[in-house]
Amino acid sequence: MKALTANRLTDGEVVFWKDGRWVERFADAQLWAVDDPAAVEAEALGKGQGTTVVDVYLIDLVESEGLWAPLSYRERIRALGPTNHPHHGKQAEGGAVVEALQHASGAARSTGRVNLIKRK
Amino acid sequence: MYQYDTIDKEMLADRSAEFRGQVARRLSGELTEDQFKRLRLMNGLYLQLHAYMLRVAIPYGSLNPTQLRKLAWIGRTYDKGYGHFTTRTNLQFHWIKLKDAPDILDHLASVDMHAIQTSGNCIRNTTTDPYAGATAEEVDDPRVWAEAIRQWSTFHPEFSFLPRKFKIAITAAPKDRTAARVHDIGLVLKRARDGALGFEVIVGGGMGRTPHIGPTIREFLPVNRLLSYLEAILRVYNRHGRRDNIYKARIKILVAALGKEEFAKQVEAEWAKIGDSVDLPDTELARIRGAFAPLGFETLPDRSEAFETAKASNPAFARFVRNNVKPHKKSGYGIVEISLKAIGETPGDATSDQMDVVADLAERYGQNDIRVTHEQNLVLPHVKLDDLPEVWAGLAAAGLATPNINLVSDIIACPGLDYCALANARAIPIAQHIAEKFRDQDRAEQVGELKIKISGCINACGHHHVGHIGILGVDKKGEEFYQLTLGGSGAEDAAVGSMLGPALPYDKVADAVDTLVDVYLRERQDGERFPDTFRRTGVAPFKEAVYADAH
Repeated sequence: MKALTANRLTDGEVVFWKDGRWVERFADAQLWAVDDPAAVEAEALGKGQGTTVVDVYLIDLVESEGLWAPLSYRERIRALGPTNHPHHGKQAEGGAVVEALQHASGAARSTGRVNLIKRK
Repeated sequence: MYQYDTIDKEMLADRSAEFRGQVARRLSGELTEDQFKRLRLMNGLYLQLHAYMLRVAIPYGSLNPTQLRKLAWIGRTYDKGYGHFTTRTNLQFHWIKLKDAPDILDHLASVDMHAIQTSGNCIRNTTTDPYAGATAEEVDDPRVWAEAIRQWSTFHPEFSFLPRKFKIAITAAPKDRTAARVHDIGLVLKRARDGALGFEVIVGGGMGRTPHIGPTIREFLPVNRLLSYLEAILRVYNRHGRRDNIYKARIKILVAALGKEEFAKQVEAEWAKIGDSVDLPDTELARIRGAFAPLGFETLPDRSEAFETAKASNPAFARFVRNNVKPHKKSGYGIVEISLKAIGETPGDATSDQMDVVADLAERYGQNDIRVTHEQNLVLPHVKLDDLPEVWAGLAAAGLATPNINLVSDIIACPGLDYCALANARAIPIAQHIAEKFRDQDRAEQVGELKIKISGCINACGHHHVGHIGILGVDKKGEEFYQLTLGGSGAEDAAVGSMLGPALPYDKVADAVDTLVDVYLRERQDGERFPDTFRRTGVAPFKEAVYADAH
C-alpha cells in the first residue's frame, strides 16, 4: 500500500492526502494499492498545490498489528513526532494507529522520497 | 559585550522587513518554493521533519541576560517552551511556523539578535573560546577578533555565495576549546618573543564525509593584518573551490588537492595584491576592543570562606565544583560551566524556564555575561567564589547542576532523525542511553575526561570524527545502524578517529560504549585519558571486547 505525504507550507506540519485535501493524521490518510494509478495521479495533483504544501511524495506502507504503517523509520517519525519528546507531535494524541506505528518494524526508504531526492 | 550601534540596528530592521515581504510573496504564490528556499535559508529558516526550524545566531557564543530572556520568551510563545543549543554556539527552535517567522525576527532584532549567517554558503557564525576574557591561559581576548570578523563578513558581497559554507574558529589559549583544527579556518592567537601578537593560521580542516585536520599555512600573521589575509584565503577559495560538486566544494578539498605549500603560495600572492586597505584601522580596533574591556572585578582574596565551607559540608556542591568550575584569571572568581546534559535529557536542550534562571543568575552574580560552548553547554564566565553556593543552588533547583563537564555523559549530539531532514539515524536517544549507563557519578568521575560525540548523518554536525568515541548514524536499508570511531580529538591534539569495526544496531550502541570504557579502565596507565590509552594500545583490545560481546 501507499500514502501521499507533504509538509504544509504555512507551518511545516506533516500532512497526508485524503480525497483531494490534506489531513494531519496518518490515521485519516487515503491509502492505495501499490499498483493503483490513482496514487500517482494524486501525487501529481498535490505537486500542483505549491501554495499549500511542499515536498510532496508517496510513501510505502507495511502491515503492523492489522493496520498500515509507513515502511521507513523516517516516515514513522514524521507521522508520530520526535522519540525524545513523546508528548510532542502527533503521537501525543495516542490511539490504535499511533500505537501500530510505534510498534511497526521494517526498513527501506520510501521510493517516492528517493525520487524527490533525485529530482533535487 | 559589543553593543550594536545605529547602523547595526538599521541593518537588522531592514533585513527583517525584507524577509516579511518575502514570506508574504511566498504565501501568496508569487514566489515558488525553489525561489523562496534560498531566501529563507539566508534567514536561518529550514524545513525539517515536523515543522520549520529557525537557527538564531549567537555571535561567538556571547549573550546577555536580556537576549537569553528573549530567547526563552520566543521558545515559550512560538515553540514548545525550549530551545536547542548547537555546536556552532547558535540556538535552534524546532517547532516554528513560517507565518510566525517574520514576527520572531522582529523580536530578535529588538534585542540586537538575528538569524544571519546561520545558513547558506557564506561565512557562518565565528566561534571562540567560551572562557574568553575569563581564563588566565589566553594571550588576548579572542572576542575582539571574532567581532571584527563578524563586522567584516556580514553581508560581504564577495563572500555571500561561496562554493560552500565557511566556518572560522578563534582560540587565544593553548588549550583549544574551539576545535580550531577542524574548521575551514582555525586561528590560534599567539604572542611572539618580542611581545607582538599574531595568529597561527590553519586552513582546510573540516569534518563531514571527508574529515581533515587543517594544516598551518602561516605560523605567525601580525594581528593587524587579519582581515586582508582572510580575504586573500577566501579569494583563492572563491576562484578555485569546486562549485561543480557539492561533496568536494569545501575548502578542505581544495587545500588537500593543491597541497598546503601551493595553497599558501597562492594566498600570499593574493594577499600582496590586496595590500592593507581592508585591514582594520587602529581606531576601529580600539573601539571594538573597548567593548570587551575587563569588567569591574573586585580585589578578592584567593580563598573564599563561604565557598570552602560549602564545599566541606555539601558533597554535591563539592562534586559540582570539581567538575564544572574552572580557574578564573582573577583571584576570588571562578568560571562556571552549566551542563545541558542532564542524565536522560536531550543534549543541548534548555527549557524557557531554565533560560530564564540562567539569565537571572548571570544578572545577579555573573556580570551579565553568558556564553554558549560548542559542546552544547552554557558558561557563566565571571562568578565570585563567595557567590558560588547560591549560584549552584539556583542551578540545581532548575535541573541545571549536573556535575559532568568533560565526563562521559557530557555528550555532543546533533538533533538527528528525531528532527532533521538530512539525518539517517537518531542521535539523541543514543546519547540518552549512554548517559544512563553512567548515571553513577562516582563511576563517571573515575573514568575521567571522555568526549563522546554523535552525528545522525555523515554531515557530522555532532563532530563524531573528533570524539574520543565517535558515533555515526547510518541508514542500512532503512534501519538505524551506528559506526563507532575511537581516538579522535577536536582539541589541540586534534585527530580523526579510527573505525572500530562493523556498524552496530541501535540497541547495541550503549552497551558497546560501556564495554569500551571497561577496556579503557583495564588498560589505562597513570594519568592516561581514553584517547591516550587508545593511541598506545591501538584498536585491538577495544575491538576484541566489543565484537566478542556482539556475538
